[in-house]
Amino acid sequence: MNYNWNWGILLQAEPGGSGSYLQYLVVGLGWTLATALAAWVIALAIGLVVGTLRTTPLKWIVRLSNAYVEVFRNVPLIVQMFLWFFVLPEVLPTGLGDWMKQMPPPWGSYVPAVLCLGIYTSVRVAEQVRAGIQSLPRGQGMAGTALGLSLLQTYRYVILPMVMRIMLPPLTSEFMNIIKNSSVALTIGLLELTGRARAMQEFSFQVFEAFAAATAIYLLTNLVVVLGMRALERKVRVPGLITAQGAGAQ
Amino acid sequence: MISVKNVSKWYGAFQVLADCSTEVQKGEVVVVCGPSGSGKSTLIKCVNALEPFQEGEILVDGISVGDPRTDLPKLRSRVGMVFQHFELFPHLTVTENLTLAQIKVLNRQKDAAVAKGLKLLERVDLSAHKDKFPGNLSGGQQQRVAIARALCMDPIAMLFDEPTSALDPEMINEVLDVMVELAQEGMTMMVVTHEMGFARKVAHRVIFMDSGRIVEDAPKEEFFGTPRSERAQLFLSKILQH
Repeated sequence: MNYNWNWGILLQAEPGGSGSYLQYLVVGLGWTLATALAAWVIALAIGLVVGTLRTTPLKWIVRLSNAYVEVFRNVPLIVQMFLWFFVLPEVLPTGLGDWMKQMPPPWGSYVPAVLCLGIYTSVRVAEQVRAGIQSLPRGQGMAGTALGLSLLQTYRYVILPMVMRIMLPPLTSEFMNIIKNSSVALTIGLLELTGRARAMQEFSFQVFEAFAAATAIYLLTNLVVVLGMRALERKVRVPGLITAQGAGAQ
Repeated sequence: MISVKNVSKWYGAFQVLADCSTEVQKGEVVVVCGPSGSGKSTLIKCVNALEPFQEGEILVDGISVGDPRTDLPKLRSRVGMVFQHFELFPHLTVTENLTLAQIKVLNRQKDAAVAKGLKLLERVDLSAHKDKFPGNLSGGQQQRVAIARALCMDPIAMLFDEPTSALDPEMINEVLDVMVELAQEGMTMMVVTHEMGFARKVAHRVIFMDSGRIVEDAPKEEFFGTPRSERAQLFLSKILQH
């Protein structure tokens, strides 16, 4: 292989004039995180509600929630990204569609990317919430109900606090997924970390350095996420309860 | 107090309760026994509408349980229930378990709820454990907390669904002692159990169920003397052998 290694490229100025290539990539990380975090808020909020609704005795609401999950779970992320970016503005009422198309960069890409990722991830969260609720002993809900708590109160005070704890490990994976999946937003023009690594490769022809740096930045970021979530798991661990992580014996 | 009239229930095509009728008077202790799968747990869960039933009527303190207009949470808050597997809330301390429904359902002030909870915790002799989590208690201790939790709501009647079946033998008595005390104080109780010693000691009546039917409903003396049905005689001879 005939390749000119040049790690120094990371400290050289990028042609856009914003500083070094490294700084250029770190700003990309900022956009990656801004996209992932905003989408995460949407994913958690919708996922919790839809996942919970799927376990209620309300039949037509269960059907509606199931349909929502199946639609967004069965279409590839990149197709959904194109639908939000290219198709949605065309099918919306003209005024609203034009407003979406005329949003200044990077917002014109950022907003559809956040909506797309948020909703795509919300169905995965919903699926885990449903599984978590159904993994609890049925008697827990009965005990809450028998004490006179309403359905809503039983979920709020009895079921969901335990489900959230059970769900922390799979939620960690989902949060890491949303960070990684945000790279798909480069296909609709968002210059997040992967988009910027690709731009750097095009400007500098240093493809290995660009993607090695991006890889390292992704690795470090998700390492921080893992450590943070582990600390959270320890903090909310229920004393005396055997947990999925086997952290506490009887 | 509790009146069950011609109640039938099906799971799909399978009939779990067939034309069950019985009464529990105020202050009365009624033990429900029978082989597993006979519908005794289902019957007791119908009383506070944890299980729906398709035919018949159940009245608790004059209020119809099956009536769609009945405020079920309110009715349930007045009927205490103790489960086979305790069902304490594992993420809450003992004190929080005792106060949650008092605060959220009865709208009691936190101080009053805690005071009430601690008083009942003392009664089941577990005051020292008030800040522990359920996972750190033994089965017998958890069940006593569960009884205290139900009593915190000042129930007009108590339902027990096999309260000692999940316990190690040496812990059964500590739970039964609490129940005997309750019975002697005049609490209205409907108890699904196989503890015939408990039935002999405090029950007024014994109901024997088989295949979803109430086969025998007799005063204690009569039941342990000469049960009228062959099925109950056979059952008794099997469980009283040792």
